[in-house]
Amino acid sequence: MSAIAQNVTRRRKSRLGARLRISAGVIACFLFLFPLLWMVLTSFKEQRDIFTMPPTLFFTPTLESYVTYLQRPDIWRRLVNTVIVAVGSGVLSIVAGAMAGYALARIRLRGAGTIGLLIVLSRGVPPIALAVPMFLVARKLGLTDKHITLILAYCTFLIPYVMWLMRGFFLSLPKELEESAMIDGCSRFGAFFKIIVPISLPGLLSTMIFSMILAWEELLFALVLTNRNASTIPVAIQGIAGDTINGANWAALTAVGTITVLPVIVFAMLVQKWLVQGLADGATKG
Amino acid sequence: MSTVEIRNVRKSYGGHEVLHGVSIHIPDGEFVALVGPSGCGKSTLLRMIAGLEDISQGEIAIGERVVNDVVPRDRDIAMVFQNYALYPHMNVRQNMGFALKQRRVSRSEIEARVQNAARILGLESLLDRKPRALSGGQRQRVAMGRAIVRDPNVFLFDEPLSNLDAKLRGEMRSELKELHQRLQTTTVYVTHDQIEAMTLADRVVVMNGGNVEQEGPPLELYDRPQSLFVAAFIGSPPMNFLEGFVASGALVLDNGEQLKLPIALPAGERIVAGVRPEHFVIAAEGWPAIVSVVEPTGSETQITTRIAGHIVRVLIRGRTDVKPGETIHLSIASSHLHVFDPGSGKRREIGG
Ligand SMILES: Nc1ncnc2c1ncn2[C@@H]1O[C@H](COP(=O)(O)OP(=O)(O)OP(=O)(O)O)[C@@H](O)[C@H]1O
Ligand SMILES: [Mg+2]
Repeated sequence: MSAIAQNVTRRRKSRLGARLRISAGVIACFLFLFPLLWMVLTSFKEQRDIFTMPPTLFFTPTLESYVTYLQRPDIWRRLVNTVIVAVGSGVLSIVAGAMAGYALARIRLRGAGTIGLLIVLSRGVPPIALAVPMFLVARKLGLTDKHITLILAYCTFLIPYVMWLMRGFFLSLPKELEESAMIDGCSRFGAFFKIIVPISLPGLLSTMIFSMILAWEELLFALVLTNRNASTIPVAIQGIAGDTINGANWAALTAVGTITVLPVIVFAMLVQKWLVQGLADGATKG
Repeated sequence: MSTVEIRNVRKSYGGHEVLHGVSIHIPDGEFVALVGPSGCGKSTLLRMIAGLEDISQGEIAIGERVVNDVVPRDRDIAMVFQNYALYPHMNVRQNMGFALKQRRVSRSEIEARVQNAARILGLESLLDRKPRALSGGQRQRVAMGRAIVRDPNVFLFDEPLSNLDAKLRGEMRSELKELHQRLQTTTVYVTHDQIEAMTLADRVVVMNGGNVEQEGPPLELYDRPQSLFVAAFIGSPPMNFLEGFVASGALVLDNGEQLKLPIALPAGERIVAGVRPEHFVIAAEGWPAIVSVVEPTGSETQITTRIAGHIVRVLIRGRTDVKPGETIHLSIASSHLHVFDPGSGKRREIGG
């Protein structure tokens, strides 16, 4: 009898726990999603609706801000620039970072772990401390305001990031896979490209997309290293927000912000799908 | 097919030596098992033959060719790993054909050889499955299939059966033996299971702490172990040991108990006497032993006894009505007594 009673209370308790967890999740989602929602809502408002108190939730939406801003040619150019830079640095960092991570995971070298850790710790240097020297170097090489400059600058923090993530991933793969491939007729490189890369594809793709997102929304280096030709979207947003003459045009700001965030959300959803798929595959278990 | 010649091979990991000069000659077509306790260097030696570990000192030759500086893919060997290491993104057919594809064998020939190997191993219906959709035993078979389609000079196995349950292990053991009889490929087989080694191999190499303790045909290791280590390692249940000194035709244990020896030994010497459980005979006269446990399995009965406090195991065929608490008498034929030197642990040859 008492066992049954205990069982019932336990179940009741766990149901309560589940409710608490769900509520916490809802609150967290709300906290994170509300600003996003607010931004999207604001972008469809007219300037005079934005600061009404209490805020209007129901208003006649207008595409005015989108129309005006998407007519500005520099926004398009910036979008294209941002895509070039994000894709470029994403691809470059995944290629270099994955290979470096593989080397760190597999090559028996005294202090390999320390080297890896140092490379990762280098990310602790505040970017602002690097931005100015980078600008000077770029100017010296005549590389200011070029895509490649931004791509390389982003790689300085993306490669260590990719390297560390992929190192962990490769460590979880049994080394007998490559050994088997090497006995079967592959070189070390062949084993990497024919066996390890295909197995790690979900991990590689999601890491690359994370990198692309980081590059997509980076502001500081873009601000310092580019000015007309290669400038990216975050710089434009900063420009609108920091317009001291007319005051910030909030509708415009949120419209451009929405355009910027949209691909990130789509990418993040893709990544999530791949990650889940990768886990479900149990790709690492022979 | 090829001979494998291991000449005074040493291996160190950063100053720490784990193999101390191992020499083994493996004739063409022979099945050699490397056995020994965990950490004795079996896998390391096998991986050196495969080319996955550098050889710190000494030489390994496959056929006529010294392979110290030859990369794994040019050694013409095939290896089966303990965890199988099947390529998870390839189906069974691709797994088995991968090595041939790397060697640019024609597509039709790959297909023919994969089909042939699949037929030998009973994998025909599984060729289109991915490894994750296979059972442990099936994965093991695929790993073997991957090795045999290669038709290599040497097969290397590193504990290939240890992830299988006991029944399956027994079945695969027989299949492996059959496979070797059919293909006659030189094979080096690492295991820590002495039964596997004894039943499969033409010759067994017992390793201990980075050295070869003894090598020879399985039954020779069983009949004439050259050291206490080999005596204890080979045979199941293991050999019984009793230590004492020799006086007037008997072994005198430390508590003064006298056990009559079936052979004459010089008086006054300290020895370790070894007798396998299955070599005791329960008789009217012999070493008095107090029965503590009787474990019948049907075909045979294991009896645990104590002689002067030392545990002594006895294995007899068939059944017995011996009861715990009784005293029985154990007699031994002279040819079944092993004598070792307690200091060096080496076998003492005895006349007769
Ligand atoms: N990469 C390595 N670095 C340092 N020491 C190693 C390395 N690989 C193996 N060793 C050491 O070498 C010795 C032999 O290892 P090995 O794997 O050959 O043993 P084994 O006989 O195969 O044992 P097991 O039956 O457990 O597989 C062990 O003491 C081990 O700690
Ligand atoms: Mg081993």
